[in-house]
Amino acid sequence: MIRNWLQKKWYKFKKYRFAYFFVLPTVIGMVALHLTPILQGIWMSFLKLNQFTLDQYVGAPFIGLKNYYDVLLNFKSPIRIGLFDAARNTFIYTLVVTFGTVFLGMLVALMVNREFRGKGMIRTLFLFPWVVPTYVTGLLWGFMWQRSVGIINIILVDILHLLPDKPFWLIGPNTIWAIIVPTIWRYWPFSMLLLLAGMQSIPEELYEAADIDGASGWRKFWMITFPLLRPVWSILILFGLIFNVYSFNIVIMMFGFGAGFPGEWGDLLMTNIFRNSFMQWNFGSGAATSVLLMITMILIVNVWFYFYRKIEEESR
Amino acid sequence: MINISYYAKKRIKDYLIHFVMLVILVFTLFPICWMIYTSLKENTDILVGKIPLSHAHNNVVDIKVEGKTLWVLTSDGGINNLDRKTLNSKGHVSAQTMSTDFLVDKDYIWVSSANHGLLRYDKNNLKTKKEFDLRLPSFDKAKVGPTTLHSNGNNIYFTMKYKGYEQVVEFNKKTEKISKVYTVKNMFSPSQIQSVLAVGNSLFVGLDTGLIEVNRKSGQIVRSFSVIKHLPLGVERMAQFSRLGDEIIIAGNSGAFLFNIKKGEIVKNVYPNAVYGLNVIGESIYIGTNRGLVEYKAGVDFKKIFAKESLFRQIKQGGTVITDSSFTPSEVIVFDRSGDKLYLGSTYGRLSEYSYGAKKITATAAANPGHLVVSWVNYVDMWKNVDFGLYLRNSFIICGISMFFAMIFATMAAYALSRFDFPGARWISVAILATQMVPGIMFLIPIYSNFVKISDMTGIPIKGTFYGIIFMYSIFFIPFSVWILRGFFAAIPIELEEAARIDGCSPLQVFWHVVLPLAIPGIIATGIYIFLTAWDELIFAWVLTSADTMTIPVGIRNFVGNYQNRFDLIMAAATVATVPVMILFFLLQKHIVKGLTAGAVKG
Repeated sequence: MIRNWLQKKWYKFKKYRFAYFFVLPTVIGMVALHLTPILQGIWMSFLKLNQFTLDQYVGAPFIGLKNYYDVLLNFKSPIRIGLFDAARNTFIYTLVVTFGTVFLGMLVALMVNREFRGKGMIRTLFLFPWVVPTYVTGLLWGFMWQRSVGIINIILVDILHLLPDKPFWLIGPNTIWAIIVPTIWRYWPFSMLLLLAGMQSIPEELYEAADIDGASGWRKFWMITFPLLRPVWSILILFGLIFNVYSFNIVIMMFGFGAGFPGEWGDLLMTNIFRNSFMQWNFGSGAATSVLLMITMILIVNVWFYFYRKIEEESR
Repeated sequence: MINISYYAKKRIKDYLIHFVMLVILVFTLFPICWMIYTSLKENTDILVGKIPLSHAHNNVVDIKVEGKTLWVLTSDGGINNLDRKTLNSKGHVSAQTMSTDFLVDKDYIWVSSANHGLLRYDKNNLKTKKEFDLRLPSFDKAKVGPTTLHSNGNNIYFTMKYKGYEQVVEFNKKTEKISKVYTVKNMFSPSQIQSVLAVGNSLFVGLDTGLIEVNRKSGQIVRSFSVIKHLPLGVERMAQFSRLGDEIIIAGNSGAFLFNIKKGEIVKNVYPNAVYGLNVIGESIYIGTNRGLVEYKAGVDFKKIFAKESLFRQIKQGGTVITDSSFTPSEVIVFDRSGDKLYLGSTYGRLSEYSYGAKKITATAAANPGHLVVSWVNYVDMWKNVDFGLYLRNSFIICGISMFFAMIFATMAAYALSRFDFPGARWISVAILATQMVPGIMFLIPIYSNFVKISDMTGIPIKGTFYGIIFMYSIFFIPFSVWILRGFFAAIPIELEEAARIDGCSPLQVFWHVVLPLAIPGIIATGIYIFLTAWDELIFAWVLTSADTMTIPVGIRNFVGNYQNRFDLIMAAATVATVPVMILFFLLQKHIVKGLTAGAVKG
């Protein structure tokens, strides 16, 4: 019986050996650099791993759930103190950036979707921020947000006289805006592009039928465009959420050019973990925090998919 | 209610939409333009917040009254000879350099600069100029820090306010040679020398961490004084107070203090706020502040004789100059007195003449506005100090090779997954999707320790070499590429492949001859996307590269750390980091756009 089973397996293997051969490098790579590190990471989160014990590698002292305790519940631990701020900031940042990006992309896609002169060029011009590398965005906006020499304050206060005093953008509660704006600036063209492509595949007849029925512009959008674009914007929002929770490059380069501390309102989860792991060399707690983050995100994504499926089925 | 025709409404709506689009376009393109624009400005302009590309009016750094003439010396190395009656310029020359300081003596005007050393101009003939090499270490030439000159008899003391340059060069005016170089490495090293004062046999060196006394004969540090409690940001200015040389004034960002040399401690707080200029003329101490000039006369008790608040009529509260679209606060840096007249020079090139008798300002003059300045030299300077060329080369190598490998493997895997439903295919698809949901740092910590361990155990260099990071990048960009490529392969009709199989091709031949040519656009688009993402990648490169193999994102960090506040160079580096990506994008935008949108629409 076992021989039968083995023969079946071998037959299947022979049948698909081409596919297996083609997939092999990827699988090997992913096992080595994706799977193994995740398992290692989970194991490391139970270890006391810092720059001294790094030599011992996976044999470093096992301290069980102490890292998790430090991160979540130990109010005196220095790691915990920054973590709450980082989590709160990441929450606000992710929601505002994701929905802002999609909203702005949708708005501009609607506007660009009409026929007018220079349409192609305008569309290309809109795509510029996407080309600027993220760390350059961080550097550039970090320079622009400077209090006394930054151009933003100069425009607001000295030229337009909108504000009486030059506010601090990189210190204090304003920091959250200082990190939200560049991110929206850099990523909205991508949303626009995808939404525009989606819009262009909506057949004209639908709009013409709606016109005959006397529908206004808003109704046309809400009843035709928006639902038909659901595949696009739902993916945008989902991946936007994930991507922005893991956002790192822009924020890290804005403060002290990679060496400074983003501050209570500018710190994100990724910068927080990175700082703990590679600047303060607390690998164990860094791993613990990332495991917690990963679990949270997996839960959120699952919840999203669940609701998404439900809505899809209902709309059928 | 006005009956607007349908077409009129449509046109209004069109104009409105176009207007909104224009606004968003400006918001989108402005930062990029600003980055390029700033990279062409001079740093001094940026630091005073000046917007136009013309030269900022330079700060008046020194003033000397001599009979009928007034020497006004500005921070770009400019020497102006003004007539005292009319305040008109009789002669002007500029060393066109940065970070200058001046000394005016009987026959010459000495100018110090970070890139030219010591320059000497003949007062009668400003065109003659002699340059003296101060043996500045070559690495310092690109790191411009403000220079300081101080004179005592025949000697000129030169130093540079750069952290780590802990030297004072003593230059003899008569012999025109360097007579001594004092090295002032001390227990506070690395420190930044901010001021120098020669009193008697000693040379006082004001640092950012304290004050030290050097014996001029032996060149040895005699005493160190910690004045951090009073001057936490350092001793920026010093002046000799008593004629006997036992008391000096030390001043900085938090005030001016009287320092007794014998006791070696601060004995009195003369002025409590930030000091921008300090001079002792006769028995009075003059302190330049951001509200004007303050004069203190010595007595048994220090008594403020008169505080010149708001000396400049145009200065409003807080010290902002409100004329001709300048946005800089104005601080009195320097002044000289001759009889009834007091001449004050301040930032932003303003010169004011104050009359004691009339107790008000009688005349003002402004430094010449500059010519248009486009600092192309920034793009040359940025390559000099930090090895930007190395980072560029590394980035190209790493991103290019990773793109190559990732494309090959991803194409193979995507084809296999889209055409063959083999056992385990579903797992692989799920795994590919799952990797996108895991934070990068979750991989980074174990991979980092893995690399370190492999280097230790086997001696194969992995961490910090090209092999390590290329290996990592190649694997990491595969999942996303597979995802995109599957859409492309799905778009290729399967009938073509079936026809080829019927004709007797092996699967490999089918792939190579039939599928691949059709999928080339998609593959190229994906490859470009990989290259762009790799170019942008910071967190893995930060940890896994060493000084030789740094890519641009990591290198720019070092670059910025070295150039303390040189925004012009930083923006130039940022522009250079963006240009390759921009060119690539422009050449291939059609492919990229088509690639991404096709994938998205198919889902």
